[in-house]
Amino acid sequence: MTDKKSGSGLDAVDEGPISSDSSSADHGGDEADASEHASVAALKQRFADAVVRHRVYAGGQHVVWIDPEKSHEILSWLQADPDHHYDMMSDVTAVDYGNGRPVNVVYQMFSTVHKRELRLRCELPLDALEIDSIVDLWKVADWLEREVFDLFGVTFKGHPDLRRILMPQDYAEGHPLRKDFPLRGRFSRAEQTRRALAQDVERFYRAEDLSAGHIPQEVAPVEVGTLAQGEREGNS
Amino acid sequence: MGLKHILPGGGTSATTGGIFGAGSPTFLTSKVDWIVNWGRRNSLWPMPFGTACCAIEMMASAASNFDLARFGMERMSFSPRQADVLICAGRVPYKLAPVLRRVWDQMPQPKWCISMGACASSGGVFDVYSMVQGIDTIVPVDVYIPGCPPRPEGLIYGLMMIQEKIRQETLTRHFEHRAEDPTRVAKPQVGDLEVAELSGPFGNSTQQDQLSSGEVVREGSTSDDLLP
Repeated sequence: MTDKKSGSGLDAVDEGPISSDSSSADHGGDEADASEHASVAALKQRFADAVVRHRVYAGGQHVVWIDPEKSHEILSWLQADPDHHYDMMSDVTAVDYGNGRPVNVVYQMFSTVHKRELRLRCELPLDALEIDSIVDLWKVADWLEREVFDLFGVTFKGHPDLRRILMPQDYAEGHPLRKDFPLRGRFSRAEQTRRALAQDVERFYRAEDLSAGHIPQEVAPVEVGTLAQGEREGNS
Repeated sequence: MGLKHILPGGGTSATTGGIFGAGSPTFLTSKVDWIVNWGRRNSLWPMPFGTACCAIEMMASAASNFDLARFGMERMSFSPRQADVLICAGRVPYKLAPVLRRVWDQMPQPKWCISMGACASSGGVFDVYSMVQGIDTIVPVDVYIPGCPPRPEGLIYGLMMIQEKIRQETLTRHFEHRAEDPTRVAKPQVGDLEVAELSGPFGNSTQQDQLSSGEVVREGSTSDDLLP
């Protein structure tokens, strides 16, 4: 055997899985200099009181923890400011670390103009799982926020249509990706089967969800004409 | 139904019997059986209910190399109204359970069901909150095909077992075999205890000792006990 280098990735394999009971607030990652990342430096300067901490993961992924109260303000500034211009919201997700620790809502963004990546995280205490919706900034966040709501129970204030998206609409067992959720659900298999079969499937979809080939409202007038020509039904 | 009323002497009366023998086979019924079953078993139209990787193998079975059409599965019937065999290929989440049940309810009699692969038959590795633990809790299953996923040969063998099952059916009895209670439409196929038993004893990676009902079957055992 070769001598072990301390801190090599393989040490973690020998140690085995780390219990989620460990309550230390170690966020991992490396301390980083904000000057390495233009947007982080700007955030620290402009929203000094809202930036909680800043770490670097995997050699180059800058992560900034921000105050959830100010999340909408910061995100809209990051999107609109020409020096940063994060026009692509790659992912909105969440992490539950268990043991009563706060749920983190994670925003992964990319700027196609500056070719720059940034991850923002908001820590939400378990008794106040609420944060502002960003559907008004990035339309893509609509279903992503629904997914986080469905699986973690985070409420997005101002979301136009906050329903479950993956689990059945009348699912009553809670939010499955929370650490306190038992792997096989809270009800017996018999009860789960009975509830599943009692679902009224058609009620869960609105008429516009089921119709194919309708023209979205937001499409520009020029494109509407193009769409109508190629539309499956109604072309003459 | 049809033949019984058309042929003279048909009927189900226990006293008269007629040529259908009132439950016991006669020369005529066994010959009618043979021709009816010959027709049925050689023109099975499968309803593919493919949800996962098993469906890939099902498609391979229908393609030229394995050629299901040799056995009379001339056409995959994508409408349950024209199908004879429901092939459930892949895992079924609870959200999909009412859809599977409705597809089964919509299929006309006589009908058969194949549970293809480990997930459809028992939940497989997906012993979790969202997954049906064996479709036999929802629809009656005739043939289970093991495998993860089964090879096309496995599916073909399963379909040939269905054919064998049809070959042994008799006109005098198969109506009662397939009697379904119309009030049980969209209800679980079996009772609560059976569901718990069917989905119970396997446990999961962290709780090997719990039935799905939460009842502990082996007190004090931990997942460490299962390490070699």
